[in-house]
Amino acid sequence: MAVAEPYVAPSTGTVRGLAALHGISRRMSRASMLDRAAIGVLLLITVMAVFVPLIAPYGTDTIVGDAFAHPTWHFLMGTDDVGRDIFSRVLYGLRTSWFSALAVIASGVLVGGSIGLVAGSAGGWIDTVLMRFTDVFLALPGPVLAIAVVAALGPSLPHTLLAVAIVWWPFYSRIVRGEVKALAARPHLNAARLAGVGRVRLAVRHLLPGAIPATLVTASLDVGNLVLTLASLSFLGLGAPEPAPELGAMSAQGLPYLLTDWWVPVMPGLGILFLALASNLAGDGLRDLMGER
Amino acid sequence: MTQLIAKRLVATGAVLLALTGIVFLLQKLSPINPVHSYLGANASAGAIKVESKLLGYNRPIADQYLRYVGNLLRGNLGESLRTRRPVTTDLGAYLPATLELASFGLLLSVMLGAILGLATSRKSLGGGFFRVFMLLGASTPPFLLALFGLIVFYHDLNWLPATGRTSLANPPTGPTPFLTVDTLFHGEWFGFTDAVGHLILPGLCIAILPAVSIGRVFRSSLVATLRTDYVRTARSKGLREIVVLWRHAVRNSLGAALSMTGLQVGLMFAGVVVIESIFSWPGIGLYVAQSIPFGDFPAIAGVTLVLGVGYVLVNTVVDICQAVADPRIKL
Repeated sequence: MAVAEPYVAPSTGTVRGLAALHGISRRMSRASMLDRAAIGVLLLITVMAVFVPLIAPYGTDTIVGDAFAHPTWHFLMGTDDVGRDIFSRVLYGLRTSWFSALAVIASGVLVGGSIGLVAGSAGGWIDTVLMRFTDVFLALPGPVLAIAVVAALGPSLPHTLLAVAIVWWPFYSRIVRGEVKALAARPHLNAARLAGVGRVRLAVRHLLPGAIPATLVTASLDVGNLVLTLASLSFLGLGAPEPAPELGAMSAQGLPYLLTDWWVPVMPGLGILFLALASNLAGDGLRDLMGER
Repeated sequence: MTQLIAKRLVATGAVLLALTGIVFLLQKLSPINPVHSYLGANASAGAIKVESKLLGYNRPIADQYLRYVGNLLRGNLGESLRTRRPVTTDLGAYLPATLELASFGLLLSVMLGAILGLATSRKSLGGGFFRVFMLLGASTPPFLLALFGLIVFYHDLNWLPATGRTSLANPPTGPTPFLTVDTLFHGEWFGFTDAVGHLILPGLCIAILPAVSIGRVFRSSLVATLRTDYVRTARSKGLREIVVLWRHAVRNSLGAALSMTGLQVGLMFAGVVVIESIFSWPGIGLYVAQSIPFGDFPAIAGVTLVLGVGYVLVNTVVDICQAVADPRIKL
């Protein structure tokens, strides 16, 4: 660890933050097989999601054979009630789920993080007002509110993402503010203040980096929850309309065939399980790598 | 203590006010014109204008909001566009089933969470198995659990019923909203076992996700407690491990798990909506799931308010209980 100021304990504050980021590649080699595998799978999912049109054997709306064909080598997950290839549709659905979850997490981190950073670094009445505002949102049941928001705006994928983003930020605002508050008491902050660093630069250069590891770990552990929440909303019909390959909605539409042709509703659900499992494992892995609890 | 509770109650009031504010704003945002739906599809623009004035929809927003809160307090939640009945009446009919399912689910998740937390906090006791179970539990969407449950326990084994709340044609309506209690009250043993059988699958499906979160928090606080000096002292006194665990460690580790339980109720409510619609459970989740395709916003707003108020009240009670149990906690 390259520490410039000798009086800063090497395991604290900004230094810890930067070091944790720096050290990832070094620690990656020491990480457990499972951690490495999980992060690898998640990267693979991301790459595959980008290139889905090249990978999927069929189109999402192409009728490729008889309806309700059993899973075979030809149709890996069988066909649905109108004879579309479920495997191809699940691949496209995974892409939608994964990118949606990433987009919502990113907005949560951005909005919540900014509020937390401003509150934590400004202090005083600004801190009080912003945190009371955050607390009100934290005290309300997010997923239930999200249902009401989509219902009011009208069901569509962008509206669902907006609705979940609206209820997903408060947690991050708490975390970033907590980290920033803890950092603000450290000696290097005093040093920076004495050196005449302005408020904005203080917040962005000296406080923000220290809050990154905790936020990143929380976010990576949170993606799995978000994948499940988005899938539930889609299951309820609060997503893109009918022919769009969304995993939750596909499962809901296949529900009537559960006892005769189980693969129609179950396969999309397994897709969600796979994505959530990979992101939960990768989240655990990232937490171990960053040495956070 | 009284002061603490009073402070917490004021905060609860503020949160509830915010909840009504959000639902009110959503109602304003929603493309449904309440006056238009009140008058029917063929209403002329002139009639809508006159009626809007009469119903106060042309007044300032703040004024409309105050009227809205006033109506809420009088139990007037508007009329459902789908059932054409007052939302309050509908909620009254659907709420008992949800109360029963959610209470049962909460009970299950607390029990499961306690078992998971205890089992994974120790090296022995098959901790590895429970770890895998928790990871899978945290990654499985509730509706997939429901599908598996239906295939295995209804279709293949025929142990449990698939839909509804009871097989009785005329279930007893008794002193409580709970069918399980009512059947016992009326001495119908078959009705009771039947009602419990109907609860098991949907109850488990909504309980797993919260149980895993509760278990995780319980484990980490238990592990932390087991490392403390007083636990080491208890052990070196020669107390058996089970006594150390039950008498000394568990009690001091319950706080975090308890507040997690309160927070998980929100997640469970979202699960209730999905699970009720799969199992045709006649609760407000099924009601809202059926309202969604119709864009029936008054009904959805009503359910949101009921679930939101329930969540806020549960967490208020949890916080107050904690402050009473542990004097170190300041609300």
